[in-house]
Amino acid sequence: MKTFTNVNARDLRQAVARSADARQSGQAASFAGGGSDLLALMKERIVRPDVIVSLKPIKGLDQLTPGGGGITIGGLITLDALSRDARIHRQYAVLAEAAASVATPQIRNVGTLAGNLCQRPWCWYYRNGFPCLKAGGSQCFSVSGENQFHAIFGGGPSYIVHPSDTAPALVALDATFRIVGPSGEREVPAADFFVLPRQNAAAENVLANDELLASVHVPTAAGGMRSMYEKVLDREAWTHAVVSAAVVLRMDGQTCRDARVVLGGVAPIPWRLPEVERLLTGQRITEEVAARAGELAVAGARPLAKNGYKVPLTNALVRRTVLELARRA
Amino acid sequence: MKNRLSLRVYNGTFRYRFPHFAGDTMSTRRRSTDPPGLSRRDFLETTAATVVVAAAAAPAIDGQALAGAPTLVQPDPAVPRSAIRVTLNGTARRLDVEDRWTLAELLRDHLGLTGTKIGCDRGECGACTVLMDGKPVYSCSQLAAWADGCSIETVEGVAKKDGLEALQRAFVAHDGPQCGFCTSGQLMSALALHRVNARPTVEDARAAMVGNLCRCGNYNRYVEATVGHSLSPSRDAAANPRSLGGGGQSASPVATASAALSLLHTVGHPTPKIDGVERVTGQATYTGDVKLPGMLYARVLRSPHAHARIRSIDVSKARAMPGVKAVLTRENCEVVWGAGAIAGGQQYNDDIKRITKQRRYAFNNPVRFVGDPVAAVAAVNRHVAEEALLQILVDYEVLPFVLEPEEALAPNAVKIWPEGNLALNVRNEAQPNVQTRGNVGNGLAAAERTFEDRFTTAFEHNAQMEPRVAVATWEGEKLTVYTPTGGIANCRHDIARDLGLPDDRVRVVCQYMGGNFGNKNQNQDADLIAAMLAKEAGAPVKLELSRKEDFIGMHGRWPTIQYYTVGTTSAGTLQAIQLRAYSGMGPYRKNTGNIGGIDLYQCPNIETVVTPVYTNKTVSGNLRGPEYPQGFYGIQSMMDDVASKLKMDPVEFILKNMTRLARNEVPYTNYTLEECIRRGAEIFEWKKRWRQDPGSGRGPVKRGAGVSFMAFRSELGRSSAVIRLDASGQYTVFVGVTDVGGGAKTTMALIAAEALGVPLSQVTVVWGDTDRCPYSVGESGSRTTIMTGDAVIEAARDLRKQIAEKGPPKGAEMLVASATPTPRVEGKVRSAFGAHFVEVEVDVELGRARVVKYVAVHDSGRIINPLAAASQIKGGAAMGIGMALHEDLRYDRQTGRPLTTGFYYDRIPTHRDVPDIEVVFIESDDGLGPYGAKSVGESGKALSPAAIANAVSNAIGRRMKDLPITRDRILGALA
Repeated sequence: MKTFTNVNARDLRQAVARSADARQSGQAASFAGGGSDLLALMKERIVRPDVIVSLKPIKGLDQLTPGGGGITIGGLITLDALSRDARIHRQYAVLAEAAASVATPQIRNVGTLAGNLCQRPWCWYYRNGFPCLKAGGSQCFSVSGENQFHAIFGGGPSYIVHPSDTAPALVALDATFRIVGPSGEREVPAADFFVLPRQNAAAENVLANDELLASVHVPTAAGGMRSMYEKVLDREAWTHAVVSAAVVLRMDGQTCRDARVVLGGVAPIPWRLPEVERLLTGQRITEEVAARAGELAVAGARPLAKNGYKVPLTNALVRRTVLELARRA
Repeated sequence: MKNRLSLRVYNGTFRYRFPHFAGDTMSTRRRSTDPPGLSRRDFLETTAATVVVAAAAAPAIDGQALAGAPTLVQPDPAVPRSAIRVTLNGTARRLDVEDRWTLAELLRDHLGLTGTKIGCDRGECGACTVLMDGKPVYSCSQLAAWADGCSIETVEGVAKKDGLEALQRAFVAHDGPQCGFCTSGQLMSALALHRVNARPTVEDARAAMVGNLCRCGNYNRYVEATVGHSLSPSRDAAANPRSLGGGGQSASPVATASAALSLLHTVGHPTPKIDGVERVTGQATYTGDVKLPGMLYARVLRSPHAHARIRSIDVSKARAMPGVKAVLTRENCEVVWGAGAIAGGQQYNDDIKRITKQRRYAFNNPVRFVGDPVAAVAAVNRHVAEEALLQILVDYEVLPFVLEPEEALAPNAVKIWPEGNLALNVRNEAQPNVQTRGNVGNGLAAAERTFEDRFTTAFEHNAQMEPRVAVATWEGEKLTVYTPTGGIANCRHDIARDLGLPDDRVRVVCQYMGGNFGNKNQNQDADLIAAMLAKEAGAPVKLELSRKEDFIGMHGRWPTIQYYTVGTTSAGTLQAIQLRAYSGMGPYRKNTGNIGGIDLYQCPNIETVVTPVYTNKTVSGNLRGPEYPQGFYGIQSMMDDVASKLKMDPVEFILKNMTRLARNEVPYTNYTLEECIRRGAEIFEWKKRWRQDPGSGRGPVKRGAGVSFMAFRSELGRSSAVIRLDASGQYTVFVGVTDVGGGAKTTMALIAAEALGVPLSQVTVVWGDTDRCPYSVGESGSRTTIMTGDAVIEAARDLRKQIAEKGPPKGAEMLVASATPTPRVEGKVRSAFGAHFVEVEVDVELGRARVVKYVAVHDSGRIINPLAAASQIKGGAAMGIGMALHEDLRYDRQTGRPLTTGFYYDRIPTHRDVPDIEVVFIESDDGLGPYGAKSVGESGKALSPAAIANAVSNAIGRRMKDLPITRDRILGALA
């Protein structure tokens, strides 16, 4: 790693100020929540901050706070704490399951929700130091290269897939993200937090310099709401999603009144499937309806040379997840 | 208290735990069989030889604990530091740390707590796991500065004043550590689990430890230790009392099934490793833990190009950096790495190394693969060394490259060597490896049925948990190299030859090593580079490879393309087998590139033409059963398919066609292959699990069964042992083993105790130091137990004779016996036998393949230590799961750069990928080897991929013709 200074932030304002100060004096700054991903990128010299602003000393930002018609989740809550919280399990199973599916206990014990949402891509070109779009370069090496794990939706000019498990869950839960920056705070819907490469090829989200994802607000679960997260891994544990499905259904007896279906592992952002949601709404979820949902899910897929297998895989995963969730008592 | 103790060790001098002996009155005699390089003089000299490990860095710690520690490196005022408070293993500490230190770095380098290991430094393996505020974290992925205010627990703090923690005892009893490099991390994860769940289930244990990889594949044992019971059913325990424990304390039953062998006192009883305590307390000293006074840290600059000529290298800026003490490039270091490229890939032949035309240097120009060393730097710390690499300016003329063997043989392909891309044989001729018997053309012409197919296997990396490392120091003209080697004698000889030194001016030390798996019974380029840097700098040098460097800069199993043509009678009797194959060797021929397996079949006409080809990928080398797992997969998939097309049960096909004479003509010393297969089929319930109609399971999740079988070399051969008896009645066995994970130290102790007729507690083993140990054949080829074991028996026999003649030694007297037997088998082939039976579950919609049942039946002769031997088979099978389903060093075709470097991208199996692997030993006695012992180490791995691939094909009804059987291939085959 390049030599750097670690600065401890007492609160969000100070964190943002320290980052802005560094930048104004011509230094590169990075925030560290759990820090695992940042250090990995620094060791490969893909990220080279002069200043690390550590958020670890900030108190209170790892809490779950009911209110405002839902629950506010501090960005610094660890994935482990999030996955074990009884309220989250009860009301937002999709989020608890997504958090529990991340990496390993060691990573979940330090990794934060905000860090998971903001982690950089795990494309092997990017992580191996290729001068790609994500590293400030001018091409995506996966297009004509090894693209087994790359995007089948929303790709171009970069074909990374968004690596976060909690992101599809929060989009499916209609969450709102609170961003804190030098010029104050702003809130954006979860779905608008993430950006496609064609909007900004170098970044995965709307965070500007010195801005932080401070917390996430999830609206109260409506009556009859149930949710689940299904993740296909590339070995039996500890990989990012090859494909994942975050599904939220509001059921009225056997009938689906509202649906959210969001995919992970298939696009540069959490990939919402509005047509599938429309199909499911107002329907009894039969095997046939679920099968149509699966087909519709992949209707717009544009696979690359080596990731065509993701199409039938996504089809099956959506069909099975929707059906299993609908059948749960 | 525990912590204080380890700090004192760090602060003062630390003596490796060698027994010392006074030589003055030692009763010894030199016999004609004494191994070269070990005389009475050596004994006397080594009496004074101790290894000093002392603090070398600036004291990072408040005055109380480390006052007076030698300060060799002044803190650099330009490097930001932070003051932190931590509670470390129960003691409150104030520490002044550099901001750039990771927590692992603080613990290991600056607090001397080296029980915490670094396996990847990227949060991908878990060797560095410590508890932070009671929870497991990767200490490599946290800055030390971030630990401010936290409680940190390391493996050194686990044992209580009154002894080991219960979990540590369980880890020893269940044979948790093989190489032991991942053990601290596994233990810390299991400990955190036990604190919240005193009675965890198997799934709880796997979930808790899933972030801790074990390349030895000893997952079953770690789970058993954590849940407190064995996973496998105990078979025949009543029929065979030897498996009920005897001298061992293990709770793990190991099924054995033999009435033929006589019961022995010590040998044959499940016995925990004699150094198990060191391995579960963090006290075992691996090469990376060695710290010498004034030691420098080295880094290697490697080629970013698959093929390039270096026009110039400018090291002036690097050399001028403060703290840089030595810089090497091809311009000032022309050392040839003899073991790095050998004509014909014949590892242990100096004559061939001498004539080898296509030499591999420590630094090469042109560079021929991404990772080829270009320069090396030694500096006061690893951060400066790393920065210095960035200051080296290399002007490359980038050349065309070729990655695939068949493309490399095309007429217009770029020539990696002037002689072309067909690798040279032992006579420097560009010829393939050819083996023929009978006349394959006639055999195929006469066959009633013929079958053809193509199979491929991928580059599989050794991926041992301990990244390559070497520490070199010169005392005058004598060089000492600490290095993870499985063969200290061969490694020493290689280093001496390459540096132009006599053997006796080189000492190689390896006390503990974090996994072997191949090509470690010789030197590494890291040994040479560290030695040359140390010479240049005039100070000891530690050269550490990163995990990524280990992946790209070292070697792994050669990828293969195998074309088979098989002829049979209509009743399914083999008439002819033809194999035409290509092995990708990378740009240097380190090993043979062979493809084994055809000799498993009784067949009158065979022809194999295996062409080893140079490519611009990472160098291929030996990996656990060098030519077998990929060969067994190819031929046994082919034959499984032939059986299927002939509507035969594959087990029946095997029983009809399997080898009964070695190479179709030479009798085996004894033969139990049929028993292995029949027994395995019965235990596995083959008839119930195998689908006569492949792919016929209902629903998306289909099950299928597969089988594989083997005969595996168990040759006798030369090795040495020395045993000494002192007046206290303690026997000390000197053997040149290092114990790569198979438990060789314990095996030698068991054999010695048996042969001497004394309890195990009266035997001490001295290992891993060429100045103290006699020649050893080295831990490769699954032969240490047989060859060094035979030497121990012969030395013991001699010692008993001396005792009978002279009486036991008194006072300062000693009796010493040594032996270097060279046993041979004439006119017969000695072989171990085995068969694996696997059931898989394949989700045909998600493309997920999972091993759900595994039965491994082996006849490895008499099992010296059933506990460790079963662990070896389990580990081999577990490793085979990775090879079968995931591992593949993939390259970008546009740039020639590897992509799947490291544990994450290469998908090394985790706790959850490995089910219970049931091991059954059939113990037969051919009257040869130590108490009838045969080979174990590689055989589990050899069988596993073939059985898994056959099971997947049986489950889905499609032949899987490429390894690894990844999701895209499963879904592709079904599309």
